[in-house]
Amino acid sequence: MAYDIQTWVSVAAFSAGGITMGFGAIGAAIGEGYTAASANEAIGRNPEQSGDIFKSMLVGQAIAESAAIFALVIAMMLLFTNFTSHILMIPVLLSAGLCMGLGAIGAGVGAGYPAAAACRGMARQPSMSGRLTTNMLIGSAVCQTPAIFALVVSFILMFTDFSSSPVSPTWAAILGAGISSGFGAIGSGLGGGMVAEASCDGIARQPLTVTSVTNVMLLGQAVTQTTAIYALLVSFILMFKSFPATDLLAPPMALLAAGLCMGIGAIGPAIGEGFAGRSAVDGIARNEKHIADLTRLMLVGQAVAESTGIYSLVIALILIFVI
Amino acid sequence: MEDLGRIHQLIVHVMGRDLTFNLEVIVMTWIVITALICFGFLATRKKSILPGPIQVVGELFVNFLYGLTEDALGEELSKKYSPLICALFMFLLLSNWLGIIPHLEEPTKDLNTPLSFGIMGFVIAHHAGIKAKGIKKYLKAYCEPMFFMAPLNIIGELAKVVSISFRLFGNIMGGAIIILVVSYLTYSIITPPFLNAFFGAFVGTIQAFVFTMLTVVYIAVQVN
Repeated sequence: MAYDIQTWVSVAAFSAGGITMGFGAIGAAIGEGYTAASANEAIGRNPEQSGDIFKSMLVGQAIAESAAIFALVIAMMLLFTNFTSHILMIPVLLSAGLCMGLGAIGAGVGAGYPAAAACRGMARQPSMSGRLTTNMLIGSAVCQTPAIFALVVSFILMFTDFSSSPVSPTWAAILGAGISSGFGAIGSGLGGGMVAEASCDGIARQPLTVTSVTNVMLLGQAVTQTTAIYALLVSFILMFKSFPATDLLAPPMALLAAGLCMGIGAIGPAIGEGFAGRSAVDGIARNEKHIADLTRLMLVGQAVAESTGIYSLVIALILIFVI
Repeated sequence: MEDLGRIHQLIVHVMGRDLTFNLEVIVMTWIVITALICFGFLATRKKSILPGPIQVVGELFVNFLYGLTEDALGEELSKKYSPLICALFMFLLLSNWLGIIPHLEEPTKDLNTPLSFGIMGFVIAHHAGIKAKGIKKYLKAYCEPMFFMAPLNIIGELAKVVSISFRLFGNIMGGAIIILVVSYLTYSIITPPFLNAFFGAFVGTIQAFVFTMLTVVYIAVQVN
C-alpha cells in the first residue's frame, strides 16, 4: 500500500508529538520530586516554618515544570497544526520534537536542585527566606536557558520554509540541528542546577555572603552553558547554511554526524563544569575571603573541563565545512 | 508570523561589493545611546550631597559596578576599566529592556551587536594581558601544558568570543521569538505582558549582568 506525502507528514507530526512530551516529562518530574523530598526533610527539621517551606516548594516546582510546559506547547502544536505536505516537513517535525523533548530533560532536573536547596535553607535559616527565594528564582531561571534554546530551535524549524532547499542533504541538516540543540541542552541544565543548589545552600549557611555567592553562581552557571551555546551555534549553521544538492549518501550523513557529535559531546563537559561551579560556590560560602582565588580556580578548571566540548565543536565544524 | 526572521536591510553597492546595513538595529542602537546620554546628563547636572532621584540611580550603578570590577581586578586596574564596564552594563541593560516597549526592538536581538561587544571585550582583555605580563609570558601561556596544545588553546580563546556573544544573542532572540509565536497563537490575549516581563525585564537584566561580569573576568584571567 502506498501512502502519499500528506500521510507521512501526519505520521511524523504525531510521532514527534509523542516523542516531545515523552522525553519532556522525564526531567521535570525528577526535579519536582527532588524538591518535594527536600521540602519534607526541611519541615521535619523545622516544623514551625512549614508554611514558608510549602510555598517555596510550590514556586520551585512550578519553575521546574516550565521546561515540561515548553515540551507540552510543542507537542500540542505538532498535534493540532495543519502542516504543508512537503517531503522536508517529515524531518522538520521529527527534529523539532526530538529537540524540545531532549532539551527539556536537563533543565527540568536542574531547576529542581535550587528549589530543593531553598526549602532546606529555609528550615535552617528562616530569616533569609526572602533572599533564598530571590536566589532560587534567579538560579532556576538561568537553568532554563538551554531549554529556551531548544524551544527556539524547534520554533525556527517549524516556522521556516525549507521547501526551496534540495531534499537530499537538507533532511540530514534539519535532523542534525534538532539533535544538536536537544542533546546539548541536557548537560547544561543539570550543571547549572548543581551550581544554583550550592548557592542556595551556601546562603543558608552563611547569610552574609549572599552577594558574592549570587554573583559567582551566575558566573559558574554562565560558563556551564557554554557547550549548550556551541550546540546552538551548530544548529544555526545547519539550519541556515544552504547546502548543494547531492545524490550521494556521505554528505547528508556528515551533517547528521555533526549534529550528533556536538549534541552528545556537550553533555559531559557541562556536567563537569557544574561540579566545578558547585564546589567553588560552596567554598565561597564557607570562606568568603578567598573569593578571588576560588573564582579563578573555578574558571580555569571549567575551561579545562570544557576542552572536550571544544573538540566536539571542532569536529562538528570540520564535518560541516570540510567534508 | 512572517515577522520571524525578517530584517529591514539597506543594501548599498560599493565597488562591486554589497554593504548591508540592518536599519532597525542602527535606529534602536541610537535610541539606546541617546537615552543613556540623557540619563548621564540628568544624573550629573545638579550634583549635591543630598542627591536627587536620578543622581541616586546613577550612583547606585557606578558604586555597584565599581565594586564588582575592584573585586576581580584590584584597585589600580579597576580605576582604569570600571568606566568601560559601567558603560557596557548600562548599554546592554537598556538594550535588553527596549523590547518591552511596543514597536521597539532590542538591538541585542541582532547577532552583530553582541558579537561586536564580544570582540571588543576579547581585544581589551588580550591588550590588558600583554601589557600586564609582557608579550613573552603572554605567548608562553598558549603553550601550556605542552607546546603542541597551542592550536587548541587558541581555538579555546576564540570560542570564548562565540560563547559570550551567542549567550546574549540566544537568550534575547529566543525570548523575542517565543513572545512572537505565543502572541500569534493566543491572538495577543493576556499572556504577552507576562512573557515580556520575564524575558525582557528579568532575563534581560540577568544576561546583561552575566555578559558584563564575564568581560571583567576575561580581563582578570588575562592580567593574572
